[in-house]
Amino acid sequence: MRPLAEQDHYEVLEVARDASFEDVERAYRVAQATYAEDSLALYSVFGGEDAEVLRERIELAWSVLSDVERRRAYDVLLARGGASPQATPVGFRERFSAGGFEDEPAPAPRASAPPKPLAPLSPLRAPERLRPLAVEALEPVDAHEDLSDGELDGAALRRARTRRGLDLEQIAGVTKINPMYLRCLEEERFEDLPSPVYVRGFLVSYLRCCGIDPASAVPGFMARYETIRSAGKKARPPGRP
Amino acid sequence: MPASDHALDPVLRKRPRLVAVGGGKGGVGKTFVVANLAAALARTGQSVVVVDADLEGANLHTALGVGSPRASLADYVARREDDVGKLASDTAIPNLRLIAGTQANLAEAQPSEERREQLLEALVRLPARFVLIDLGAGNHAALIDYFLAADDGIVVLTPEPTSVENAYAFLRAAFYRRMRRCLEQPAVRRVIAEAMDQRNERGIRTPLDLLREVQAIDPRAGAAYLAAMARFRPSLVVNEVRTAEEIKLGFAVKSVCRKYFGIDAEYLGYVNHDEAARRSVLARRPLVELMPGSDAAVYLERIARKLADPARLATQAAPDTA
Repeated sequence: MRPLAEQDHYEVLEVARDASFEDVERAYRVAQATYAEDSLALYSVFGGEDAEVLRERIELAWSVLSDVERRRAYDVLLARGGASPQATPVGFRERFSAGGFEDEPAPAPRASAPPKPLAPLSPLRAPERLRPLAVEALEPVDAHEDLSDGELDGAALRRARTRRGLDLEQIAGVTKINPMYLRCLEEERFEDLPSPVYVRGFLVSYLRCCGIDPASAVPGFMARYETIRSAGKKARPPGRP
Repeated sequence: MPASDHALDPVLRKRPRLVAVGGGKGGVGKTFVVANLAAALARTGQSVVVVDADLEGANLHTALGVGSPRASLADYVARREDDVGKLASDTAIPNLRLIAGTQANLAEAQPSEERREQLLEALVRLPARFVLIDLGAGNHAALIDYFLAADDGIVVLTPEPTSVENAYAFLRAAFYRRMRRCLEQPAVRRVIAEAMDQRNERGIRTPLDLLREVQAIDPRAGAAYLAAMARFRPSLVVNEVRTAEEIKLGFAVKSVCRKYFGIDAEYLGYVNHDEAARRSVLARRPLVELMPGSDAAVYLERIARKLADPARLATQAAPDTA
């Protein structure tokens, strides 16, 4: 662990050197939200100027690591500095505060496309601004943990969803399934759902959104669905939104 | 023998795992979390002792439905009782025993440094698999010492600026106390004391920046500083989560801990805001026992499972000795 001024782009975004583009993008989204102005997590530790420096470092890291060619050149630069994590390019701090890396290839005559601009995620304080389709941008979580709590029921679906940081409208936006049907799945109001074929389809889309492998989860849930439906009774979990 | 062997093998592991729960701010649910984690562990058949070290509002006994206790930690602090084990009383939950907190007499509440060390030594000799300590609010040196000595130091916070501020203040107090304890050189201690003042003249902005200053004074002290940083792995629990978005606070605070302290905190889990939790408090029974199917109970059980997970324990370094 090194002071921020000496951290490389990977350390700034908290990703491994061999992180995939998707991992880098996810980490960037998380960093953007974490270090946004007014972010609750910064309160009382990183004030105005410090937070601004952090945000600049995060943007710089993203601009380099999201561009295949710039990232490759940067990796070469890092490798030249030695494999040890302590081996920082000399004068990093000075060069950074002077506005960039002189060793880096000049960004202007790049052959590759410029990094695609990303819409910023909402800061932690403004949940209502969370954009749909941000599924892949959220911190990866072990969604299977929700399955380990026991039988996969409607409540477990809801927990897997909230753990993933999603509300029903977001899943509806991605899957194009009426949120009312999604809610019926979570609340196990199976009598309000169309035929089993549709239910299975809804379930598969829902699980994919939550990062759960449908193959491992669908049979158990569908068995539960059949049992509850044939018993002709409602099995509502203790109700919460 | 490496600590990991102890963690993995219940036969080899002679002493209980010490879990301390703090967080600076009052009212964030520390006692609720401790009572429920203890009950959840006990319900899986593990022997658990909970200790109420809250100096100013001890009420863990109420959360567990135990009446006003006859013996308490005060008896140990005041040396009326030297056997901590004798202070433990049964609760309604099998496998769960309670050492109640100090009632009323604040003069007796804060043990001397020597007595704290004796207490910690005694706690890890208790015949139990887990000893959970409710630290209560505040950053008193005694609480920080328990926190640093624990195998798992858990900071409970809620998604509110007041709680986040106090959680960082608690972590900062713990961080600097650990550093001062590891580094004895007067010159190094002086620069740490300076760094603790946020407006210091050296321009040290964060505890992580301080590393360079310490390395400049003495490379060996720098290495010790790094080693102490690596061993400081507090855990985070976000309580009273109301939206999916608020769950992310734990990941955000974890990231800030890296950037600010240079430490790897662990996001142990979150507990949602749940009307069921309030009902369990009113009923003076742990939620995991009263309403095991409620969301909050499921989340608490999940955290308890992590605390007992052998794979997780194997990756952890041994804590500081008291």
